[in-house]
Amino acid sequence: MAERHGRMRPPSPLGRRGATLLTIVAAAALAWWALDLSLAQLVPGAGGAQIASEFFAGALRPALTYQGDWIPPGSPPFLVTVLVALGKTLVFAAAAMSLALVFGLPLGVLASDAWWRRRPRWTRTLQVAVRTGIALQRSVHELLWAVIFLAALGLNTFAAVVAIALPYAGTLAKVFSEMLDEAPRNTAEALRSVGARPLEAFLYGLLPRAVPDLAAYAFYRFECSVRSSAVLGFFGYPTLGYHLALSFTNLHYREVWTYLYALIATSVVLEAWSAALRRRLVA
Amino acid sequence: MIAAGTNTKAEVAALRRARPKSPFLRTTAIVIVAFTTYAWFSGEIEVGALFRARRLENLERFVTRDIVPFPLREQGLSVGGAVDWAGGLMREQGWKAMLATLWISVLAIALAGAFALVIMPLASGSLMTREPYLLRDGTRGVEGRAWRALVLATRFGLIFLRAIPEYAWAFVFLAMLGPTAWVAVLALAIHNGGILGRLYGDTVENLEVRPLRSLRMLGATRRQISAVALLPLGLPRMLLYFFYRFETCVREATVLGLLGVISLGYFIQEARARQFYDEMLLLVALGVVIVLIGDLVSYAARAWTRRA
Repeated sequence: MAERHGRMRPPSPLGRRGATLLTIVAAAALAWWALDLSLAQLVPGAGGAQIASEFFAGALRPALTYQGDWIPPGSPPFLVTVLVALGKTLVFAAAAMSLALVFGLPLGVLASDAWWRRRPRWTRTLQVAVRTGIALQRSVHELLWAVIFLAALGLNTFAAVVAIALPYAGTLAKVFSEMLDEAPRNTAEALRSVGARPLEAFLYGLLPRAVPDLAAYAFYRFECSVRSSAVLGFFGYPTLGYHLALSFTNLHYREVWTYLYALIATSVVLEAWSAALRRRLVA
Repeated sequence: MIAAGTNTKAEVAALRRARPKSPFLRTTAIVIVAFTTYAWFSGEIEVGALFRARRLENLERFVTRDIVPFPLREQGLSVGGAVDWAGGLMREQGWKAMLATLWISVLAIALAGAFALVIMPLASGSLMTREPYLLRDGTRGVEGRAWRALVLATRFGLIFLRAIPEYAWAFVFLAMLGPTAWVAVLALAIHNGGILGRLYGDTVENLEVRPLRSLRMLGATRRQISAVALLPLGLPRMLLYFFYRFETCVREATVLGLLGVISLGYFIQEARARQFYDEMLLLVALGVVIVLIGDLVSYAARAWTRRA
């Protein structure tokens, strides 16, 4: 009887998922209390309300020309400024992403189990070292890398690119290593069985099977790096964030929305592109 | 096989010609290579300037002096001195900042998840048709097109929420609300609400249709289907996404403080402004610690729900 009970326990009314949901709600309530929040703080003061209404009104009529009375002589038309800022945002993102790929792919290979299979045990210490390095790279946000580089080197655009590339290389390496481990192994094993060396089997058998996944994921990360590059502008680099912050402090909210819409449009295009790429590569 | 050896080259060439080709993939590859090359040679990325003498001096001072804990610069290196210094900083700022950062991300992701659950049915193209799960052409006719428009509008709204970086949202909210924790909570909740809403919508669109169809045949309304079928059936997936996004939230909550909200970033920014780079690096290291804590919580929670 006891044994039957143990095996055929009726499903508990709550269950693990229910318990998880309850824990989330409780943690949120605790956070509310710990942060000392009140709903009253959500009502902006007089100045804040003014900003809020003007800002959100600007969403419906983004600026097509500069706002404000004084425009520095010799400035290009507003929409050209927007396009140039967008172009620089993409330039930073592309440079950072290419750097991240150059480092992320070999690190991903070294972090994967697929690479170290059938190699002497002790060489695995290198795998552990690589995985630790990747985790550290990833756990410092790109903006914090940027702040550190600003302190150590001053304002330099290459340093900004490296700041994005460091955590992105870590993330790419982590996900790449997982994808390499999940890639179908039969081709590589077939090559091994007809006498290919491990390196050859890896390069010609395993890697090609994983490439579609790797490429699709790398493109998705490019989307993310565009947003990161835009935000770096808040620190003085000439990307979208710089212009956004400048227009916002000058109270030119309609200009802010033009920059935001430029970013949103880029996101939409890249997302559609990414989806089309994924359909052709992965499905 | 060996007799065919003379032809191998030709055979390989023929195989190569017959391989599947996609103009779309080829164009994408060309665009990527061309634009990346342009990016590096546009003059925008000042690789050379990084190695100018003044910058290198800067770097040397930073590494050999600035980041050495302040009391150790005169006394010389001592473990006790370093521990005292770090302990003092932890008491004054460290613990408080770490906890605030964690609580901000917890509340933000909970709000984002709640929002995504509410918006999820509206983002599901298979539920929002003339006659969900029963018709093949549920988006035909005036009514069908109206339903389709509703889904597209919801999906566009979600893109709008997530395409604006949380940092930009926080920048705007800071001006409106002043420096309360709400600024970071709202910014993270809005951005992640957009992401989770889309992921949850995709999840319920990809559910097995048959149980949903039978519910509909028994006369269940869209709301009833959402509550008794979409939610429980999609929940495992949704919880996975939820905890993945929680990891990102912890990272971003740290950084939003740079704007002036009381999280770790605030103290990092303050230390930078005062050029106390030793303190700055210790606080960045605390950021690493809470990111690792967040990843660990997320990993444990995902393992726990997966076994359910």
